[in-house]
Amino acid sequence: MTSDMQTDRLAQPESVPRHEDRFIASEELARLVMRTAGSHLQLAQDDRPYQWSTTAYCDTYDWAIYRAAEAGQALRLRFREYHRTRPDEAFTSARLWLELKEDTIDMSRKERFEISGDAVPAFLRGETTLSDGRSGLGKKAAELVQAGARPVVVTQYNRLAYAAPGDRIRITADHNLIYLAVPWTTNADDSVPIRIGPILARETDVVIEMKWVGELPNWAEELHGYLRERAPADRPSKFVVAMRHLLGEAKKS
Amino acid sequence: MNAMQSETSVVVVEDDPASADVLQRRLQANGMSVSVGRTGGDGLALIRELHPDLVLLDVGLPDTDGYDVCLQVKSDSATADIPVIFLSARGDVFDKVRGLSCGASDYLTKPFHPAELLARVDAVLSQSRRVRGPRLSKPAEAARVGRPTVIVALADASRRERAELILGPKFEIIPIGAEGRAVDLLIVDSDANVASQMGSEGPTVLRVAPAGAPASPDTVVLNDELARIADLAVREHQLGRDVDAAADALIALAMAFESHDRSTAGHSERVAGRAVAIAKALGLDSQTQQTIRVGALLRDIGNTKLPLGLVRSRGELTPVERTQIEQHPALGQELLAAFRPLARLLPIVRSHHEHLDGSGYPDGLKAPQIPLEVRIVAVADRYEALRIARADRPAMSADAAVQILQQSVQRGELDAAVVAALAAGVRAHDRGEATGS
Repeated sequence: MTSDMQTDRLAQPESVPRHEDRFIASEELARLVMRTAGSHLQLAQDDRPYQWSTTAYCDTYDWAIYRAAEAGQALRLRFREYHRTRPDEAFTSARLWLELKEDTIDMSRKERFEISGDAVPAFLRGETTLSDGRSGLGKKAAELVQAGARPVVVTQYNRLAYAAPGDRIRITADHNLIYLAVPWTTNADDSVPIRIGPILARETDVVIEMKWVGELPNWAEELHGYLRERAPADRPSKFVVAMRHLLGEAKKS
Repeated sequence: MNAMQSETSVVVVEDDPASADVLQRRLQANGMSVSVGRTGGDGLALIRELHPDLVLLDVGLPDTDGYDVCLQVKSDSATADIPVIFLSARGDVFDKVRGLSCGASDYLTKPFHPAELLARVDAVLSQSRRVRGPRLSKPAEAARVGRPTVIVALADASRRERAELILGPKFEIIPIGAEGRAVDLLIVDSDANVASQMGSEGPTVLRVAPAGAPASPDTVVLNDELARIADLAVREHQLGRDVDAAADALIALAMAFESHDRSTAGHSERVAGRAVAIAKALGLDSQTQQTIRVGALLRDIGNTKLPLGLVRSRGELTPVERTQIEQHPALGQELLAAFRPLARLLPIVRSHHEHLDGSGYPDGLKAPQIPLEVRIVAVADRYEALRIARADRPAMSADAAVQILQQSVQRGELDAAVVAALAAGVRAHDRGEATGS
């Protein structure tokens, strides 16, 4: 049973094939990188500096999304919201983002839907249909929901983001990264907002992500090379790191 | 200054001895008690131990950075209300915004003028409006005679006097700070910080709305109705205590049954303690913690209806015996169902052997049908069972037991967040042992 009302509340998605590399850097290196990025790119409009991003990631009861992500190919289902100070609950916002992000070996694509926090349980009950856009990710997300996907881990961090017009290049630095569990038990309407915790782990270094479409300009190519020389580039995604901590597999990290 | 706040206490977390010394002298000269931590770890330990009125926190520390310390203070419900001021030589706007977004009340760039520091300290202290509840001794054991007792801990003197006048005919007013008196009722301002000091044995707490504000689900208005509302609240609390007393009697019976077997003596108390620790780590309220505690203590009461030899058997069970043993949750539920005030415990008693993937017993429930309280007791029960030596295996270490539970999470049997809360508690305990604290 789908809800037209819910469907109407979801914005049209945008789907973009992108490249993505992730580095773990010291505070000093991160400052240098962001200074360089800041001289070529604009401060991203939708990421107010040092606001808190709270992202709740979903998985099924047999951890199918995590296992697929470990293998390098997965459709991730996550809810992201923004706050000026760090909240200890998730799904508190009237406006948050349901994001579908699909990674393949050499590319990723993402669709974003606007949703309200109190509509999340209905979505997880399968009562909301996502408009499927060009990518078909909405249909795949519905299959995950049908399989019992529900929020299992949360990340919180302060993000500083620089981006070129149209997000052709986007460079972000995430400070104060915290991985938390979330005790989600039911998709009833009164399950939100939900208190998050316990803390699974903290990241003392800075996670830098470079995302781009097409070719990198020279300065970004050089910056990418500089980072590859000085910071580990095989950093797993935040979702994978969080799940490893949650399931006691953190020694893989 | 409020009568309850005798001296402002400040924890300074600063690795540079000279800077720490200057700060300490300056604050002490202004009537504050000051404790200094040289590292982030030392500072956190002091903050948790002293629960100060204010923390002054350097950003650059030898073992971590001040942002991390601030986040840990603000993410712990026991310390989250303590205001933090950053003191740092880093003066970039991003450093300041980052510090403030970690939950700090202010950010002061070094070098600073002492007068500015004191002004900001005063401003933060006054804005924090932290009114501490009086530190109550446990209720006296002596039998109650006469009127119920009340402490009126409102910050504003005229409102305090008015409340005492309204409550006087029905309650005995006890002065703040009186030692050794049992207190039935505590009247505080709506923003007072008393929750962390009040256990289930504590008094009824009524929060009074600010002057001119309407009542809310959490507050009452200071008017002539206060005496009637207070009287009802105290009676309701007393009724709750009576139910608890009845539960205690049942628990005593269950414990007596358990204590006949040396291998399991004390097991239920350890399960209950572990379950409450998990509930706290998950931020559950004190009433839910109490439900979990009593449910954990009574979860196996159905064993009293099974043959003694079967319950105490340590060998491998036959299929028939296993079927019998697996009846104990349902038998326990039947036993307690007659006692209606304990209805909230029944899901724990009946379902603490259920698995999220439906492979448990007695009903084969699946995840959405298993409440969080039940999941918590199930994890605590499994963990404590692994820590006990059995005929077929030795007692497991804490780490090994956690790993076994994490494997159960991977198979889809146990709740991941609950096991994560347990693991965090075990890790914290190990760290405490390692540092000798």
